[in-house]
Amino acid sequence: MFAFVIRRLALSIPTLFGVMVVVFLLLYVAPGDPVQDMVGERADAETIARLRKELHLDEPIYKQFAAYTAGVLKGDLGNSYITQRPIVQDIKERFPKTLLLAGSAMLLASIVGITIGVLSARNPGGWFDRLGLGLAYLGISFPVYWVGLILILIFAVNLKWLPPSGYGGVKYLILPAFALGSRSIAFLARVTRSSMLEVLGGDFVRTARAKGLRERVVVGRHALRNALIPIITVLGLDFGYYLTGSILTETIFSWPGIGRYVVNAIARRDLPAINGSVLFLSVVFVMVNLITDLAYAKADPRVAYS
Amino acid sequence: MRTRRYALVTLLLAMACMGGESSPARRTLIDSRDTYDPRSLDPALSTDVPTGRAVGYVFDGLVRFTPDAQVVPGLARAWDVSTDGRTYTFHLRSGVKFHDGRPFRARNVLSSFQRVLDPATKGGRGWPLYPIAGAKDYADGKGRTITGLSAPNDTTVVITLAEPFAIFPKLLAMPVAAIVPDSVPSNFGEHPIGTGPWKFVEWKHDDYLLFAKNPDYFDSAPEADSLKARIIPEPSTAVAEFESGNVDVLYVPEGETRNWEQTDEKKAMLESAPALRMMYVAINTTRGPLADARVRQALNHATDAAGILEGIMSGRGNLSAGVIPPALPGGDSARAGYRRDIAKAKQLLAAAGHSNGIDVELWSSQTPPFPRIAQTIQANLLEAGVRVKLVQRDASSMREAARAGQTDLALKDWFADYPDAENFLYPLLHSANKGVGGNVSFYSNPRFDELVATSRREQDEAKRVTMYAQADQVAFADAPMIYLFFYKELYAIQPWIKAFKVPTIFTGQRWTDVQIQR
Repeated sequence: MFAFVIRRLALSIPTLFGVMVVVFLLLYVAPGDPVQDMVGERADAETIARLRKELHLDEPIYKQFAAYTAGVLKGDLGNSYITQRPIVQDIKERFPKTLLLAGSAMLLASIVGITIGVLSARNPGGWFDRLGLGLAYLGISFPVYWVGLILILIFAVNLKWLPPSGYGGVKYLILPAFALGSRSIAFLARVTRSSMLEVLGGDFVRTARAKGLRERVVVGRHALRNALIPIITVLGLDFGYYLTGSILTETIFSWPGIGRYVVNAIARRDLPAINGSVLFLSVVFVMVNLITDLAYAKADPRVAYS
Repeated sequence: MRTRRYALVTLLLAMACMGGESSPARRTLIDSRDTYDPRSLDPALSTDVPTGRAVGYVFDGLVRFTPDAQVVPGLARAWDVSTDGRTYTFHLRSGVKFHDGRPFRARNVLSSFQRVLDPATKGGRGWPLYPIAGAKDYADGKGRTITGLSAPNDTTVVITLAEPFAIFPKLLAMPVAAIVPDSVPSNFGEHPIGTGPWKFVEWKHDDYLLFAKNPDYFDSAPEADSLKARIIPEPSTAVAEFESGNVDVLYVPEGETRNWEQTDEKKAMLESAPALRMMYVAINTTRGPLADARVRQALNHATDAAGILEGIMSGRGNLSAGVIPPALPGGDSARAGYRRDIAKAKQLLAAAGHSNGIDVELWSSQTPPFPRIAQTIQANLLEAGVRVKLVQRDASSMREAARAGQTDLALKDWFADYPDAENFLYPLLHSANKGVGGNVSFYSNPRFDELVATSRREQDEAKRVTMYAQADQVAFADAPMIYLFFYKELYAIQPWIKAFKVPTIFTGQRWTDVQIQR
């Protein structure tokens, strides 16, 4: 297990290096000029040329890349062209907020989604199953910005139970977490239901029932545990995506997370900020995948790592 | 039991009915207009609107703008201009202190300007100070001192310009010319110290900026205790925050104009002001058939600017026949625009030898309302036989292409940095500013250049304004752009907010007189 983790981490190094190369190249060939975005309107050609030289943008790309890689190896992602702040500091401020939002959304989605899935599977074709499926369809079909705005209108503007947007205590978290998690709720409910249906038809479930175990124990302890693998896959994938920035949710709820940061950096061609945050988010994605794989073994002892 | 249930229902109803009528308990003014995080709070880096606004709260310049865009004394209580128009002597206020208690002196003005121009600052925003003798050379690393700057004593600053520039004080009211203390630390952009009406308290990136009243402010100290500038990227969310009573001032989104104007209680909260902002299509006058003025006039006649203003902008603005907004001296509201006339457009095209029409590319950014306006223009021009290929890019790529002269037509808007016709005529159309300077029409007309250059030196305002109007007329006849419209600012202001005036120029409202009424 330990060896497995080490090997996976070692294998992720070429992946991350690949990400660095691709992003660097893409930004190099993409249109748009970082210096023109720095100076704003009414700049003069001399100033632009001078800044380009100072930022080493006039050097060949391999030199720029080498300098950047050297910085990364020392843990320095550089300073933003636009704000002149260190990228590391910018990420440190924003990522925990994205983590909080993504974590809450996933927690909410797992509780609600798995519950709906399990209850639906217990009585397929019943009223709860149909209702659950219907809601799942709605959840998958509605785009997050629409759900977000409707939630704000109902719970903030009309009922005044929660603030419309911003970052703060738990009350600021509920609406965005729900908006972000709504798609996962639907997805998890459906995956849980089908996985549970498959498992509930198994011999060991019949045995458990024959033993006279209560239905709650049969479903909760025996069946659900065996149905977990596909559920973990969905959780891991969604969590990875949420962590890398839920741009729409963060925008609608004015949530100061990493997604908005990346989008702003791209819009302003802030090269160090784009390179740095994409690299960081790739690390996060690799870690989430690793944890997902480890969770498989926890859920199913037959899964072995070597 | 029944009464308790009844009480609950009443409570819920009461909660649902709590509108925006009651004044909030807070004593903090809350703004909702910033849609993205400021670049920095360092005046030397003030290239964007949120930065400029925040710098205006914490800092003062020698002069400043009022909400209706007049220049009034700031740290300078008065100034004299020499008869040749080259030397400005600013008489400074005495007894002014920075927020950290250090006194403000004339040498702070020198070091502040020097810092903005110093290549090491990497701000790239030196141009408002370039009129000062020696400033441009200093910024390019060619001079060791700025010859045009001196401080004979603690309360006098003498600025000598390279050549007369009558509206120079207006440039000194821009955020970049704000005065900072000596020995500025490297994290100054995060912890600014100025002399302004508001002291910096905290900045939560992408969330809000918080300022506290400076009770010792030399002018009149703010009425409210504190000011919070929230950063709300989504306009619909800002509307929801306003309707919930959480913010005091709202920039009404273009798409919601009708909704606000047609609801009585909402309409009562609206305030508007003419904006120094213009929407136009820059025509690259050097590309193919567009080099012919008749073709450019034809494009103007074919475009339904009135339809665009009405249909897409909900009528929020004034049609333009020139580049000088009607709110500024020199703006000629009597000049007849290019009215929509397809027959005339076709006739002009035929006269220019294009009876089969022409093919052009129209570039626009992807930010609303640009794509819809571009599509409308495409449809309009087709009626006159002009086949438009739409090119949509993000704002950064589009700006680069337009400045490099790679666009036939580019749909753009232009904000004034300072309230003067020169801020439209010179950057947008003077041949010295082709490309990165702002003239993406690559327009060049010696008569226009001469009129603008002379007006920049002219000390007599009446004469200057006449020249502005003449220059605008010259360019208008050459049609280096499709003239669309000037924006109108439309704000909603909570009923409990008193004395908030919608600013004509974005740095014109510093919230000092604004009160929360209780």
